Amino acid sequence: MSTPRAMRQSFALRFSSGAFLAFWCLLAAFPIFWIAVMSFKSPVDAFADSAWDVITGPATRANGDGLSIIDIALGVVVLFFAIRWAFTKLPALVRQYCPPGLIVLGWIVGALVYAITFVLIFFGLLPLILGVLNSLLGPLGTPVLGMTTQHYIAVWGENEFYRNFLNSMLVTAGVVTISLTVGTLAGYGLARSGSDLAFWLLILALIFRALPHSVLVAGYLPVFINSSEILAPIFGEGAPTLYGQPWAVIAVLVSINQPFTIWMLRSFFQNIPAELDEAARVDGCSHFQAFRRVIMPVMWPGVITTGLFSFLLGYNDFLVTALLLDAQNQTMVPAIAGYFNRETTTTDQVEAVAAAVSITAPLFLLVMVFQRQIVSGLTAGAVKG
Amino acid sequence: MKFKTFAAFVGPSVFMMLLFIAAPLVSVFIQSFQVTQPILEQIEVETCTPGFLTQTCTTEIKTVPVLDEAGKTVTATRWVGLQSYRNVLQMDKFWSAVGNGSWNQIMQIDFWKALRFTLSFTLLTLPLVIGVGLAIALAVNNATRSIRGPIIFISLLPFIITPVIGSLSIYWLFVGDGILTAMMERWSGQNISMFAQAWTIELLMYFYRVWHVAPFAFVIFYAGLQTVNMDTLESAVIDGASRWERLRHVIVPHLMPLIIFIALIHLMDCYRVFDEIVGFRSQAHVISLQWLTFDFMTPDDAGNRAMSRASASSMLTMIGIVLLLIMPLRRTWRDHKGSAH
Amino acid sequence: MFLKKIALAGVVSLLGSAAMACSYQNEVPVKSLSAGFEAWKAVTDAMAECGNFQAELDQEFRTKQPAAFEANPSLYQIGGVSNGTITPLLNAGTIRPLDDLVEKYGQNLSPNQLIRINGQIMAVAMMVNTQHLMYRSDILADLGIDTPTTWDEVYAAAEKIKEAGVVDYPLGATMKSGWNIAQEFVNMYPGHGGKFFNDDNTTAVNSDAGLASLETMKKALDYTDPEVLVSDSTYVQQQFQQGKIAMANLWASRAGAMNDEAESQVVGKVAMAAAPKAVADGAPATTLWWDGIVIAKNISDEEADAAFRLAMEGLDTEMVQGANDAAIWLVGGYEPTDIATGAIETATANPAPPAYPSTTQMGLLHTALGNELPAFLTGERDAAATLIAIEEAYTTSAKEAGVLK
Repeated sequence: MSTPRAMRQSFALRFSSGAFLAFWCLLAAFPIFWIAVMSFKSPVDAFADSAWDVITGPATRANGDGLSIIDIALGVVVLFFAIRWAFTKLPALVRQYCPPGLIVLGWIVGALVYAITFVLIFFGLLPLILGVLNSLLGPLGTPVLGMTTQHYIAVWGENEFYRNFLNSMLVTAGVVTISLTVGTLAGYGLARSGSDLAFWLLILALIFRALPHSVLVAGYLPVFINSSEILAPIFGEGAPTLYGQPWAVIAVLVSINQPFTIWMLRSFFQNIPAELDEAARVDGCSHFQAFRRVIMPVMWPGVITTGLFSFLLGYNDFLVTALLLDAQNQTMVPAIAGYFNRETTTTDQVEAVAAAVSITAPLFLLVMVFQRQIVSGLTAGAVKG
Repeated sequence: MKFKTFAAFVGPSVFMMLLFIAAPLVSVFIQSFQVTQPILEQIEVETCTPGFLTQTCTTEIKTVPVLDEAGKTVTATRWVGLQSYRNVLQMDKFWSAVGNGSWNQIMQIDFWKALRFTLSFTLLTLPLVIGVGLAIALAVNNATRSIRGPIIFISLLPFIITPVIGSLSIYWLFVGDGILTAMMERWSGQNISMFAQAWTIELLMYFYRVWHVAPFAFVIFYAGLQTVNMDTLESAVIDGASRWERLRHVIVPHLMPLIIFIALIHLMDCYRVFDEIVGFRSQAHVISLQWLTFDFMTPDDAGNRAMSRASASSMLTMIGIVLLLIMPLRRTWRDHKGSAH
Repeated sequence: MFLKKIALAGVVSLLGSAAMACSYQNEVPVKSLSAGFEAWKAVTDAMAECGNFQAELDQEFRTKQPAAFEANPSLYQIGGVSNGTITPLLNAGTIRPLDDLVEKYGQNLSPNQLIRINGQIMAVAMMVNTQHLMYRSDILADLGIDTPTTWDEVYAAAEKIKEAGVVDYPLGATMKSGWNIAQEFVNMYPGHGGKFFNDDNTTAVNSDAGLASLETMKKALDYTDPEVLVSDSTYVQQQFQQGKIAMANLWASRAGAMNDEAESQVVGKVAMAAAPKAVADGAPATTLWWDGIVIAKNISDEEADAAFRLAMEGLDTEMVQGANDAAIWLVGGYEPTDIATGAIETATANPAPPAYPSTTQMGLLHTALGNELPAFLTGERDAAATLIAIEEAYTTSAKEAGVLK
């Protein structure tokens, strides 16, 4: 296929657009890359003035933690193939082994298996092999780059960060599921009703979205803490204390997220021709049946995209979870912020960085997996205003 | 669609929004006209606190709240009209400052200081986010197909990263002798302190926001670019339109609904800017409206919180946002009227 | 390597928990809510050994504690407080007197630890904290400077250090706008002989002592990092550890970090002395703080009994010996080391510095100070105008809180 004329471009244009992209990618990735580097260094190195010291980590190396040239070479090779494999082979495997209806579930399982395998190989198998290699190879095997995983061990082992991780997963899964269920119904209803009521509901939702969250959250706290007294007249003795309950936080987050969800889904449904469900209704279906039989099969691109935004909201939320959850049910973001309170040490801060990098990893995977769906979902109309 | 069916579809969503958003909002609205105070009495209290090895006891008159038989604090609520709004706006000081023609004096009043920053933050980052987002989208669309995937992935990183962590990661690059500040110092040969004066902090906050939100604009514009009509573009080329003209007359109009969508979302999010103030610790130099509200209702050590002023300031924030949104929403109303039924 | 370390860590923790068993088995479920710094970690870990105990070390504890203790039944049995944060609990009457419990389980407590309000024991203190002078003994010795005892001497020493150019900035200061900078003023102002309130609850900071305090604070800016308005105690501690500053008036609980080999490049070089005085014959310009435990009122007596017994287990000699340098403990068995000398000198000075005067009004004034002082230090406002602004801000919020009519 020859390039259409409209797409042909001069070298100068190609070059400048390429340079711009390269610059942007550097800008986008650098801060994140940098905190990842910091997380592997001893506190002295992590907050050193000179960038070179942070990268090479002399103090970390002096403590006997470091990577040799051979470590680095092998690590880079493994990393390269792992990423390549994720982009090329993983999608095919998922498609092969997963029944077509459950493609979303298949991807989640696939991503999890991939993540676990990667961690096992990279942090389990590789160090074992390298330990032998390093002792054999002499000068090539002496550490040149200071690097330590002690902060990760401290965070995930001593500080039991996996509990926060599970809590985050629970809250996020709850937010995504409920938000999409409630939001899809509402989005469809709003898209198919041309009434003024629908319009004003949307405008109201928009204004709700604009509210400063701190106002809402501060209003919840006393009510949540005293809820067993307040709800006692209705529920009797067994009235729950909402404070500290993950499901109460899920409800709050879903509500806060509703305006955005219904706006996204409404515009998505508007781009599904109304003739489709009208045809079904002519065949004798009710609105709900039409929705289930005709709309549900074609709505997934939009729902996945909207779901990703819900995921980000639930996963990244700080204000609501910090105030309304107790220590046992704490999610990851407030747990990390807890490292930065008034009485903290430099080691705490580097541990916080390690925790921060850890919680970014699932987001990486998620975007890697769903990247195409985001773009195709948005293209399919979720953003046509 | 019949009203009943419609209600069944939107019911759960509307219920949740009413319960968790509208109800607190109404209570905030009411509280902004009220003041709730504990009934106080003055009593003599002897307090003994530890020194090192021996205790010191002091007797002083303390003002403490009265408790009823059940042990609850007795409070009295009164209607104060617009008093809380006056306390937040401080119009008397504002007008006298205007009378003096002193911008500096106006900027000494918290609310106006916060409003100034919030507005400039919102309005300055808006074109930047749209411009940068569009530029990246066009550049990615130009790139070879095989590298688009990785580039989209990297571009999305600043958007998906947890905001608390994103702002900290940039803060650390610049604070004190952070590596980027150290680098700039080496280039310029001067001692640079990014967090010592208002304008550099503001600059960093603008930068962070654009860095964080531009990817969102990018991915939406990029999706929009995939649906540009090739035939229209081809015919524009045949008509001899330059690349710039094609961008102005074909692509931008095609993306217009998306630009408005981004603008709307961005106006709302920026107007309640908060994370940056905390993340960059800029309270000494610049504050925002939501931070002001937050500060009013953060309890101090003694447990006081200025709920009435917090309510008033959040209502003022609301009014501001509705004013900002009217412009873009007029279009949505016209579309609604045009496309109805 | 990695696997070995994990296995090793597992073994150590098993051994650890086996070795430090509690003297009894706790049967009643108990929860606590406190701040999350090192000393609290040590205390709650010791309590957890007895079983059935959940500790919440939460940075939002200030926001949650008053509401959580007011619920009926209270969401927590044990609360960790300081002399600042106990005020809302006392005012709302949500903590119980401990006299009978102290009699039953408090054999090991010293009288110094018992916080008495009108004769009733309302809290049990475990540690004291104060801000005091920390300085690089090697630098001061090299330049032949005696340990400064007043702020004037501190600035004179800072001038010499600046001329010698041995560190980036001679002084560090915890002047982050908000709580920290207000605390600096609260330290300085009584040192200049000022009193915070008149008898009718109006504030008295707009005075000569106020002006003097502001002037003393502003002089520090000649010698500190220009980014001082974002620097909190962790930041100052890091500057110390990285050898960037030579002196600072910093919290005693931070002293241990100077000798932490993993973080610090100045191990053994930082010495502690009493907080500098504002005027030569006055008290050190600082305030004394304590941290301790309280027991909720809205719980059954059995729960209170179990909670207090558990707390005593957490505040025992064994715990202190395991975490000796985490705080200036008041608990028996504490061995003051070199790093505690400054704090002890401060607390035993004559005249002694006041305890932080925690009251409803002080809370309001602290907030007003924290919001209005930065404009003075950035130079947007002069000292007199700043004091007027503080007075106005306090008056507005005091009227809203009902303290002033």
